[in-house]
Amino acid sequence: MTEVRITIEDASAGTNKNLKVIHIGGQLDESNVDEKIQEIYKLLETNPQNLYLVFDLENLEYMNSKSIGYLTDIYGKVTEGGGKVAIAKARPNIADILQVVGLTQLIQSLDSIDAAKTALAS
Amino acid sequence: MEKENLENKELKITITLPTNAYFISGIRDFTLNMVKSTTNFEEKWAYRFQSIIDELCNNAIEYGSAPGSDIRVTFIYKKDDCLKISVEDTGTGKGKLDAAELQKLLEERKAPGYAFTGIRGRGLVKIVGEWSDELKIENRPEGGLKISVTKFIKDARKNDAGLAKPQGMSTPEPTIKLNI
Repeated sequence: MTEVRITIEDASAGTNKNLKVIHIGGQLDESNVDEKIQEIYKLLETNPQNLYLVFDLENLEYMNSKSIGYLTDIYGKVTEGGGKVAIAKARPNIADILQVVGLTQLIQSLDSIDAAKTALAS
Repeated sequence: MEKENLENKELKITITLPTNAYFISGIRDFTLNMVKSTTNFEEKWAYRFQSIIDELCNNAIEYGSAPGSDIRVTFIYKKDDCLKISVEDTGTGKGKLDAAELQKLLEERKAPGYAFTGIRGRGLVKIVGEWSDELKIENRPEGGLKISVTKFIKDARKNDAGLAKPQGMSTPEPTIKLNI
C-alpha cells in the first residue's frame, strides 16, 4: 500500500464556525484511498451540519481520479449540510489535475491555509 | 535489455506487471523519471503522463485482468515527435468490456453536459482523454483490450508558451524490457 497521511485539525478557535483543516500528505491512489478516505467520512458523520473544511494539500504528491471523485462527493455532502469546502496549498501537479477534471470550478483553491479560511468565512 | 532503434531515435520500453494495485506506484515513479530524463516534454507533462499511466493501469487491473494474471505497459518515445503509451489487459477480469463497448461508454461520458455523479468514471475521459492527442481502443487477438494514447510534442508545447526547454536533451536510451 502506498503511504498517505491524513490528519484532521480543529481550527474553530477564534471563529464562530465548526472549522477543520484536513492535512493530506503522501500519495492517494487505488491502493489506499478507499480505506484512508473513511477518516474524513467519519468526520462528516459526526458533523453533518455547518461543517467548514480546508483541505491542506501542501504535502500531497499524487492523487488519482477516484480520490477526486471522493473529494467531489465530500464537497456535495458538506454543502448539503450548509457548510463550505476550500483547498489550500496544492502543488502544481495536483492543481493541474484538479483543474482538468473541473473540480476547481466547484471548490476554491487558495495559496495558503489562511486565505482558504478567509474564503470560507465570506 | 535490448539495444535497437537507436538510429531511428526511437525508444521502446515494455513492462509486464502482476494484476495488483500495489505495483502501480512503481510504474508511476518510473514514468515520471523516464519522461523527465529521457524525453523533451516539459516537466508538467511528466506528471500528466504519470496520471495517464496510473488511470490506464488501474482500469486494466479493475476490469480487464483477473488477479494472478498480468498487464503490459509499453512506452514508445520518438525523439522530437511523440510519446505513445499502451496498456494491455488479458480480458480475464470480472468487469471486462470489448473495444466497442468501452468506446461507446467513452463517447457517452464525453458528451457535453454529462454529469459525473459517482466516485469513479472520470479517469479515462477527464484525464487520459484531455491530456492526449490520440486515444485508441483495440481488442487484442489473444483476448483483452489494448488502450493506446499518443501525445505529440508540438501540441504539448502549444499550451506551454514561454516555458523554454533546457538545451542538451539526452539521447534516447535503448529498448528496455522489464518484468516485475
